[in-house]
Amino acid sequence: MPQPDGEDRVVVVGAGIAGLSAARALTAAGRSVVVLERARGVGGRCATRRIEGGQAVDFGVAFLHGREPEFLAALAEVPSSAIPGWPSDVHGRGRPCQPEAFAVAERRVAFVDGVAAFPRHLATGLDVRTGARVTGIEASGSTIRAAIEGAEPITAGTVILALAVEQSLSLLASLGARSAGLETVTALLTMMQTQPCLTVIAAYPEEIPGPPWHVSYPEDSRILQLISHDSSKRLDPARTVMVYQAHPLWSRDHLHLAKGPQASSSGPLPGDEHDATAAPEAWITALLAEAARLLGPWAATPSFVQGHRWTHARTERGSGLHAPILLRLPSDAPPGPRVGLAGELFFPGGGASAAWVSGVQLARLVLAEER
Amino acid sequence: MTTEEDSLSRLVTRDQDHECDGFGPSTVCVRVVGIADLPTRVGHFRIVAFWNNRDAKEHIAMIKGDVVGAAEVPTRLHSECLTGDVMGSLRCDCRDQLLEGLKLIESMDRGILLYLRQEGRGIGLINKIRAYSLQDRGLDTVEANLALGFRDDERDYAVAAHMLKSLDVSSIRLITNNPNKIKQLTQYGITVSGRIPHVIPPNEHNRFYLETKAKRSGHYIDTAGKPHLAEQSDEVVVEGMRSPTEPPIQG
Repeated sequence: MPQPDGEDRVVVVGAGIAGLSAARALTAAGRSVVVLERARGVGGRCATRRIEGGQAVDFGVAFLHGREPEFLAALAEVPSSAIPGWPSDVHGRGRPCQPEAFAVAERRVAFVDGVAAFPRHLATGLDVRTGARVTGIEASGSTIRAAIEGAEPITAGTVILALAVEQSLSLLASLGARSAGLETVTALLTMMQTQPCLTVIAAYPEEIPGPPWHVSYPEDSRILQLISHDSSKRLDPARTVMVYQAHPLWSRDHLHLAKGPQASSSGPLPGDEHDATAAPEAWITALLAEAARLLGPWAATPSFVQGHRWTHARTERGSGLHAPILLRLPSDAPPGPRVGLAGELFFPGGGASAAWVSGVQLARLVLAEER
Repeated sequence: MTTEEDSLSRLVTRDQDHECDGFGPSTVCVRVVGIADLPTRVGHFRIVAFWNNRDAKEHIAMIKGDVVGAAEVPTRLHSECLTGDVMGSLRCDCRDQLLEGLKLIESMDRGILLYLRQEGRGIGLINKIRAYSLQDRGLDTVEANLALGFRDDERDYAVAAHMLKSLDVSSIRLITNNPNKIKQLTQYGITVSGRIPHVIPPNEHNRFYLETKAKRSGHYIDTAGKPHLAEQSDEVVVEGMRSPTEPPIQG
């Protein structure tokens, strides 16, 4: 019997680590998978861009860490020179966003080409459509139709939402389906939230040597949570590059004032072209002034600066769930389509490791139910 | 100073440099790091503190009598439940189970209660309270419970097994209503020579267990209408209660 259109397909919304790991596991199992990503590139918060001269800069997570053997094995396959143990020179006594990153059993790694080498590797061989913003998902019969801004919709028997929890909730609300499971899961996700992070990339003239450490967690700043000496990850960097990440609270207070390129929880969005000639916005100047207070006057006057507004940057440590969710929706054509949820909140510990494991686990749930 | 105190106290010195390949998938290894007298309302115990190489959870053993080198030691495993054990929550039976477990051990020549710092069967306090919140709104689904961390099969007994090995008991009689626990401990090399049912006496708070229609969709609903989560990995057995395995009486 021929299957209704798309019933065998899996659509993954979000090409961050969770979405890519789920898509990769499902593709490896022979499933037809389409990944939809609204940004121009894959990786979500595993984000690297190149500034003038081609130097890579990590402007989302500064490094990857984990202890799950499967995750570490996946990292080991990345075709880029790894910098094991980075950051090994940690300055300051402030609270890291993920203190477990520095636990004894935890492995830390950065890549010479930037952390985005990892998602780029995961995306290899997958059907990933970038610049594809999903505006809603609608259950109908045995499938779900994902509406895409400016493109034809795609139908699938299973839709995986690998997004910030707020974005997943808004898509769940667009479903137009009602069930006890959906209502409970919606209530559960409403109890969780993400935090923003205003971030500044600052590149300095050649003669500026940069600090003698890899990252700093300033203990006496209410503005800056993390300072990453990004150029310490590069081979023969042309210039010193620092990345400044603001505290969640400061970020929330200043987010509405910020106008620069919006990074959301994905990378730069289409149309977010950087205007290097414009004067920096006030929040960027404020972060640079704080950096100068902490590091020295040199930090206030970079030769290149760019701000990024991560509206969904972090999850509160220890607040995560234990497993991904796979929901069967009620349907007049049983057994009905499925919606899955994965991401760093769906496995204990958080971070890229939890995101990756949750994606793999969700793929296993999707496949197990079909046997 | 009695001989059993000596044999127990010696474990701290013995374990100073202890490091083994660890137990279970997470290769957890524990050390005995502190021992003291602990008089309680229930009776006089010794309390043993354990360090482990995996997390900051400080597991505890409550000891009655001479257990080092002993056989057939009555042993109870209790999973931490802050809301029940400490706050006296009526949404679970943990406090009754803990106190009755201690009383039972106190009534015997020797015994062990392992107090495992695995809040709400390992789901953590935050997620347990989220689960309560969903229940308060009449929302309770398999999908949400799995995400919150509730599992059908039980958590890893590796830590408990290593703790018993560290206490140097040669065999135990497990105080439990769940024979699966015996299997799991046996897998980790613990000799379980018997089982002692864990029956708690009826009181005004658990009387609903004695009512026939109480069990609904896997939960017992108490008189306040709250489903009781099985926060210990044991089926609750209240004296005079019909066996949980018997089919429910209709009507």
